[in-house]
Amino acid sequence: MDILAIENLSKSFGNNKVIDGLSFAVPEHSVFGFIGQNGAGKTTTMKMILGLLKADGGKAVVCGEIVSFGQNKTNEYIGYLPDVPEFYPYMRPKEYLKLCGDITGMPAGKVKKRSEELLALVGLGGVNKRIGSFSRGMKQRLGIAQALLNEPKLLICDEPTSALDPIGRKEILDILLAVKGKTTVVFSTHILADVERICDHVAVLNNGRLALCGTLSELKAQHKADSLLIEFATNTDKDKFIALSDMMNFEQTETSVNIHTENIAETQTAVLELLAKEKLLPQKLEVAEPTIESLFMGVMQ
Amino acid sequence: MRAYLAFTKKEFTENLRTYKLMIMTVVFLIFGVMSPLFAKFTPEILKAAGVDASALGMGTPTAMDSFAQFFKNVGQLGLVVLVIVFCGTMANEFSKGTLINILTKGMKRSTVILSKFTMATVIWTVSYLLCLAVTYAYTAYYFGIGNISNAFLTFFSMWLFGVLLVALVILGGVLFKNIYGSLLLTGGIVIVMMIVNVFPKLQKYNPITLSGDNMQLITAQKAASDFIPAVIVCAVLTVVSVIASIMVFNKKQI
Repeated sequence: MDILAIENLSKSFGNNKVIDGLSFAVPEHSVFGFIGQNGAGKTTTMKMILGLLKADGGKAVVCGEIVSFGQNKTNEYIGYLPDVPEFYPYMRPKEYLKLCGDITGMPAGKVKKRSEELLALVGLGGVNKRIGSFSRGMKQRLGIAQALLNEPKLLICDEPTSALDPIGRKEILDILLAVKGKTTVVFSTHILADVERICDHVAVLNNGRLALCGTLSELKAQHKADSLLIEFATNTDKDKFIALSDMMNFEQTETSVNIHTENIAETQTAVLELLAKEKLLPQKLEVAEPTIESLFMGVMQ
Repeated sequence: MRAYLAFTKKEFTENLRTYKLMIMTVVFLIFGVMSPLFAKFTPEILKAAGVDASALGMGTPTAMDSFAQFFKNVGQLGLVVLVIVFCGTMANEFSKGTLINILTKGMKRSTVILSKFTMATVIWTVSYLLCLAVTYAYTAYYFGIGNISNAFLTFFSMWLFGVLLVALVILGGVLFKNIYGSLLLTGGIVIVMMIVNVFPKLQKYNPITLSGDNMQLITAQKAASDFIPAVIVCAVLTVVSVIASIMVFNKKQI
């Protein structure tokens, strides 16, 4: 079942069309990476899913219910972590989670238990100072705790890692991975390494339209690289190889050659035959796997 | 209902910890103490300055002078303090983005408005009652209360006008999302009411008389029936402002 479906969504601010006929679906229990450059419309899309912004056209469906702007009914299924989560600075973390629990109608005992669990999960277990004195990273952690409080079916995170240091980033990603079994995660980012680390589904947003969408393995298979990397021990070996081969399309570095080809199997056979004949022993021979970065760069061009 | 109580409690904590509650109670307590004292000692202050009080038409001060001070202090500076203390209640939530977490939890938008209106009104009521109680007690002590007409209606009217201002401050905040919008809308409507007051026929319906003509009521220069239409208009305007705030807020992009 799709936990979130977006159909033909559009949004303009004045004359600036930010989202233009966007459609995609997020299957249950996936970690869905929503990728795009700064200003691509990621936050705008999320805010329309949350009913905070009014869509000009199209619709968003959460758990089978259509999102209607201004009414926050479908938000009961959603936990949301804004890009910069803001809290009431005069409150303490537990008080804030209590407020969140009360407004969602959770039983008081459960709120207390969940708060303690979650604060421990995000590493704020023993912290009892006012939120006003929290660092950016601590606010981000509390943001995750509040988003997960009511055990949402769908967790939406808006660039959860973009402002954090490497350790903070790793910890946040680990938390997202840890909740994967219980809830579906949609998170937007422009950090491609994060996507590669935790996502199984990906959508790439470019100029308000969907440029790519699918599972990570599907996409990689579709955009299967057509290049063969050969690394030699010495520069002389490499030059000898280039002189003897009849390949046209390649690039080289000090000791390696990267061959681009239409038919990878044919090229591979030819190369191996040549290497064997000339007794050139490469250190490494590899069919290059596409990275999410090469996919992303491919669509952006 | 539980969300409403929880958010109202949050409003209380906010007003307590950001010192708004303290500012309101202290300011109004000071007004409460000052009004009778000022009435009592004005003739002596004038004498010390070498002015003959009786030549200015001022005889021995009475309870009425004390209440006149009360209405002047509360009806002018007091209401200004009320508006300034609460003008950021909506605007800050918008500008800081603190509502996003709350609304994305599925809380109804109307609850935000109703909770804010409730807590601001409660704080205004407590501050006002404190002020009134202190003034009343000191006045009784210094002068004796004596003969006062329409006491309840007079004091109630001033309170009701304060409630209208609270509702307008919230409406302004929702409409313009910032403090200036809140202040301008409230100030603008007060100015419109002042202009309307130029026409004698309309005075009877003008809420501003509730904070301006209290002495005429208390001294029986005006009858209760002269005040009732303005009371009704004021109450209706308050309800309309609250409903309008909810309707506008429901359509607001955040």
